[in-house]
Amino acid sequence: MSAAGPSQGANHAPSGGVGAHSSATAGAPILTVENLVTEFRTGGGWHPAVRNVSFAVQHNETLAIVGESGCGKSVTALSIMGLLPPANGRIAGGHIGFAELDLVTLDEEEMRRIRGDRISMIFQEPMTSLNPVLTVGFQVAEALRYHRDMGRREADAAALELLDQVKIPSARARFADYPHQFSGGMRQRVMIAMALACRPELLLADEPTTALDVTIQAEVLALLAELKTAYGMAMIFITHNLGVVASIADRVAAMYAGEIVETAPVDDLFAHPTHPYTELLLRSIPRVDRDMGGLTTIAGQVPAISAMPWGCRFAPRCPFREPVCTSRDPVLVPLPDAPDHQVRCWLRAPPAEGGHA
Amino acid sequence: MPDSVLTVTGLRKFFTVKRGFPRVRTVTVRALDGISFHVRDGEAFGLVGESGCGKSTAGRAGLRLVEPDGGEIVFKGENVVTASKARMRELRRKLQIIFQDPYASLNPRRRIGKALIEPMRVHGVAGQAECEERARALLAEVGLPDNAMLRFPHEFSGGQRQRIGIARALTLEPELLVADEPVSALDVSIQAQILLLLQRLQERRKLAFIFISHDLGVVRYFCQRMAVMYLGRIVETGPIPAIFQEPLHPYTKMLRDASPVPDPRYKVVTLRIEGEVPSAVNPPSGCHFHPRCPHVMPVCRDVYPEWRQVDGERGVACHLHNR
Repeated sequence: MSAAGPSQGANHAPSGGVGAHSSATAGAPILTVENLVTEFRTGGGWHPAVRNVSFAVQHNETLAIVGESGCGKSVTALSIMGLLPPANGRIAGGHIGFAELDLVTLDEEEMRRIRGDRISMIFQEPMTSLNPVLTVGFQVAEALRYHRDMGRREADAAALELLDQVKIPSARARFADYPHQFSGGMRQRVMIAMALACRPELLLADEPTTALDVTIQAEVLALLAELKTAYGMAMIFITHNLGVVASIADRVAAMYAGEIVETAPVDDLFAHPTHPYTELLLRSIPRVDRDMGGLTTIAGQVPAISAMPWGCRFAPRCPFREPVCTSRDPVLVPLPDAPDHQVRCWLRAPPAEGGHA
Repeated sequence: MPDSVLTVTGLRKFFTVKRGFPRVRTVTVRALDGISFHVRDGEAFGLVGESGCGKSTAGRAGLRLVEPDGGEIVFKGENVVTASKARMRELRRKLQIIFQDPYASLNPRRRIGKALIEPMRVHGVAGQAECEERARALLAEVGLPDNAMLRFPHEFSGGQRQRIGIARALTLEPELLVADEPVSALDVSIQAQILLLLQRLQERRKLAFIFISHDLGVVRYFCQRMAVMYLGRIVETGPIPAIFQEPLHPYTKMLRDASPVPDPRYKVVTLRIEGEVPSAVNPPSGCHFHPRCPHVMPVCRDVYPEWRQVDGERGVACHLHNR
């Protein structure tokens, strides 16, 4: 179970190749997730939906977590936010280091003070997160009144400025409008304004553009990238869309069946996808910019969390499978020529000298 | 057009909706404002556009699942719009549809076998035993095991349900399939499986498709020609890949350039922020696209551009190409 341990060191290493944004602020990461295990109760037993996930995010860095439904990407975000359903979800192990804190050890009262202040989250469908009977201005100002003890007038002025920053046209005129009077793209901007109200150090974005049309998606992605740089905040961007990953991420973690199977700087991951899952996934996307000779398919489907296979979890669907794959759990190992690029695969990234922690 | 299996001319569909509070007023949504296209034998024809552009209504009106308000639909020389009820029932055997979410279109209490056999019985295709035989063959054709016959929809994953939806659409051996966002709800790896399945069926059964999607990558992969819709009208048609390589309409170009590509070297171009996107309830004057168009000219604000055929295969409605 300590499998992911050795990899941690490499994540911490000053990541020179992280991309355009690392430079000045690269130092201690703002968020360090170590061996996170999050379990859900189904059919009377607890099963891990996220298993031994470790990663770190720097200030002013965007980490994209990409994977298909049920891979654990959203559960990872909910674990960080402390928003797991209390009745049937729990963090069963690991640490979530945020600045000087370990979020796993905080109680609900302490978490509430951090949420919306130092860590914020935006979701796929803004309409379900906005209160339909309150004006958008009131809702954006709310976090400032709660976390910053601002008065009504002061908070409203700050909220108006935020709505301007997320580029809502004629923000002053729309301050007292209700969420239903906005289109999907504009609602997502309102959500972003709410999330950024207290200038969080970390923003979790869970499929924020999935419900939007492509032209609106392009606008929202550009806005998020711009604000991330302006605020110098760290961003975890969760998506299933590898095209979106390519346009927004500095670094990528690909998840499959609750585990990170590959992580690398964005250019490296797309240029040299190394885990068979990542490689096949990239070849199964119909592309708008070129003719595909034929699509690659990945046979079968993601295993249920109550019926995970032995050894490598991707092995049953993997065309390169060998006996070792189904008998022992693979370890996330840095590639010899690119320590920033780590892969969990017996064949493509065998651990050095056989015996590994 | 002699080689066309389906020809749509000037198709119109207006919806009236009640809006507003406390004073309710009735507004007209011009979901289809006179669209024309044709689908050739064995061809996959793509209809693309963003939400609310009317592409789903076009697919449904093409099968008269929504009654069009005007225009003509000719299927193999026969006008579908004026067909009698009895005749329509026979035509439906040849015109079938698959939906984005097959779960919503399958009866949760009915076993898959029954769902497949029922349409064949209703249309009197064959006796019970032969229908069962055919249902099994269909399941095999879409890659599902024999025992699926006795199972219920909830026992299947999203990809498998879409296979069931496809099998059911094939029960009556249609010649034209309307596929309305058939892979949009699926994960990438499953999406590829279903696209390959549809492609195999198209080849083996010489099926024609109207393939409706918001995903330009999927359309580029699956279709031979496509039409781009914007607020109830077709703004450009053309063969693939030419329409991707050199889009004539600024909207086609905008859609293409905004579609994310899984390659960090081609970052999506940043578009200017434009505020609320107009809707079909109250489309802008002149060319509907003019408020968002980077090449807008004075004439665009007043006059809707005429349709112009460019070298036979391609067509566009844009003042830039009307000189």
